[in-house]
Amino acid sequence: MKRAFILLLLVVVGWVLADTFSQINFGESRMGDIKQQETVGAYYLNNTVEKLSVANVVTAIVVNYRGFDTLGEVTVLFLAASGLASILYRRKKRGEHDVMILKNSSQLLQTGAKLIFPAILVLGAYVFIHGHLTPGGGFQGGAIIASGFLLMFMAYKDYHVSHNVLTWVESIAGILFVSVGIWGLISGATFLENILGTGTLNDLVSGGIIPLIYIAVGFKVAAELTGVLETLLNFKTEK
Amino acid sequence: MVISPVHYIALPLLAAFLMPLLAKVNRELVRIIPGVVLTYLLFVSVVLMQRVTETGQPIIETLAGWQAPWGINLVFSQFTGFLVSLMVFMATLIWIFSYRFKKVDNEPALKYYILFMMLVTGSVGVVLTGDIFNMFVFMEITAIASYSLTSFYRDRDGAEAGFKYLLIGSLASTFMLLAILLLYTQVGTLNMAMIAERMHTVPVGMKVTILILFLTGLGIEAEMFPLNGWAPDAYSQAPSPVGATFAALVVKAGVYSLIRVIFTLFDIQGAYQYLIIMGIITLIIAEFAAMKQTNLKRMLAYSSIGQMGFVLIAFGIGTKEAVFGALFLMFNHAIIKSLLFMSGSFFVYNSTSKDINGMSGIGKKFPYMGFLFSIGAFAIVGLPPFSGFWSKLYILIAAADESMLALVAIILLVSIVEIVYYFRVVAKLYFGKPTDKEVVHKPTFGGYFSMTVLAVVILLVGFYPDIITGFIHRAADTLLDKGAYISNVLSMGH
Repeated sequence: MKRAFILLLLVVVGWVLADTFSQINFGESRMGDIKQQETVGAYYLNNTVEKLSVANVVTAIVVNYRGFDTLGEVTVLFLAASGLASILYRRKKRGEHDVMILKNSSQLLQTGAKLIFPAILVLGAYVFIHGHLTPGGGFQGGAIIASGFLLMFMAYKDYHVSHNVLTWVESIAGILFVSVGIWGLISGATFLENILGTGTLNDLVSGGIIPLIYIAVGFKVAAELTGVLETLLNFKTEK
Repeated sequence: MVISPVHYIALPLLAAFLMPLLAKVNRELVRIIPGVVLTYLLFVSVVLMQRVTETGQPIIETLAGWQAPWGINLVFSQFTGFLVSLMVFMATLIWIFSYRFKKVDNEPALKYYILFMMLVTGSVGVVLTGDIFNMFVFMEITAIASYSLTSFYRDRDGAEAGFKYLLIGSLASTFMLLAILLLYTQVGTLNMAMIAERMHTVPVGMKVTILILFLTGLGIEAEMFPLNGWAPDAYSQAPSPVGATFAALVVKAGVYSLIRVIFTLFDIQGAYQYLIIMGIITLIIAEFAAMKQTNLKRMLAYSSIGQMGFVLIAFGIGTKEAVFGALFLMFNHAIIKSLLFMSGSFFVYNSTSKDINGMSGIGKKFPYMGFLFSIGAFAIVGLPPFSGFWSKLYILIAAADESMLALVAIILLVSIVEIVYYFRVVAKLYFGKPTDKEVVHKPTFGGYFSMTVLAVVILLVGFYPDIITGFIHRAADTLLDKGAYISNVLSMGH
């Protein structure tokens, strides 16, 4: 009986949601008529290149128009990492080993990881440094770098990333992001305002504070995700 | 640098990112920094409230240099300013209360203070922002800090409570995100003022679906029945200062967002009746559940849910007097419930179990703590010389003015239930047979200080409600004046 009710409820909710979403013509331009600047999307598409000299409009939205949201999202990640660390925190006993993986991984993985690891780091750095020019950005680049560290964790049983270094990178990147924002306030403009010159379109150094912020985000995300992996790997349940 | 609303967000974030580094310099800094930041924000509140009261105009701050619909803005009006100032004031007291928290172990202390400060920032951000997606981001910050703090003690019950909260909270975020997505496809903007302006173009069916998604998502944070299953566990398992923070800040942010969506964004009349009905159900079920509890903190949690139901009823009546009463009740609930959580935590700490029965006679061992708890209990049930009396009275008058006499009857009847279970605890404290256990944990100086301040505020507002009613009246006016909100925010861009 109870199950029948739950099924009925799910069907009703599903039907209402499906009906609502079917009214939106996905795939069609939901940005509105680009010439009538009715939606904010149209405004972004029309004005970004001219006003910010940024080729990647998505980056311009994420880091400049809605940069405050991005600061919030970075904080969410920071909190998730801190929360995880606080929940899995355990005082280490003396002489305890860090990593509990007992077996070495295969020769193939070890050699491959050693070869690919630097390439992954370079790719990650490339993605976040060129965030304002090509698809991708700080979050993606950071995640790529963290995946490189994951590979190393899997390949070598006592591969270790210093928690100290991670904390430093994470904190300094976060401080840089907020400081860029406060810099705007101090120089008489608004918080996170693009106070640097925007340069010419498609140059590496262009877009004002956008690349600066994305580099900070890249470092922060990389350090945080690596820290999460490290925390999870070092967590042992008491037997 | 001129003092502006963005300080509420930027400085705590800066401090949170700095704290892991400063912890390496000096362990004590971890405890001091949040206090310094919160004290500064208290100063910011005073300055900004003064400015807003003098000019009568809200402060609207653009961020990243983009005007209203294109970028994100913060709105510090007499309504949001009142709530933000209340939150910062409460957060400062809770910081003083928990200054010596986790004294022995430094690493958890660092995490605790970071998470606590972010909990405050998230709640304040929800209230300040003028952008619906930005509100979602701050909701997430608040929620994620809450999950970790709920299971901070890492025992079995804490993990269960945290996990439950995590599941329900993720559901809430999903619903809210769906609602925002649908809303954007309809109106093409995320700015709340512009959404409100364009809302009349949205087809009714779509509007109702979006509103339901919002109500479900935000109702979870606002502890609305039947979405509040996480609350009793979270309140009772979280460390006591965190319980107080939930009652004083997090729930307030949830209720604020619910009210903002219904009062400003949508123009559906039925939503008000919906608030009244859900409020009544929440109130009745929570108060009866509270009566059955044997665990003190769970009882306080259910009482907290009940009070939120009461707030929803008052907002649902929707007249100026009712909104005034609702805001007054939110203020009272913040100060009184925090006092109850703080003093109650010492009884729990000093008894063998978390049960109310285990606290019998403890009021004789701690006369002062018993006295403070009793003030809180008397105030929250609405006895005359205390502040809780006025908010209850104003809501009853507002209900009677709208000739909702059945509502008046229900509220009064439920108040009796409230009196029964609060007085049961007070009676146990004073007239119960003392247990001969001699393990006595004394509150810290900070604990005494913040509880005394709260008790003084309760008495002061009880005797001279005029010191606060002016602010609340202006806050209620600001909330109800939707046209002014829209024109104030949007005129910035033109």
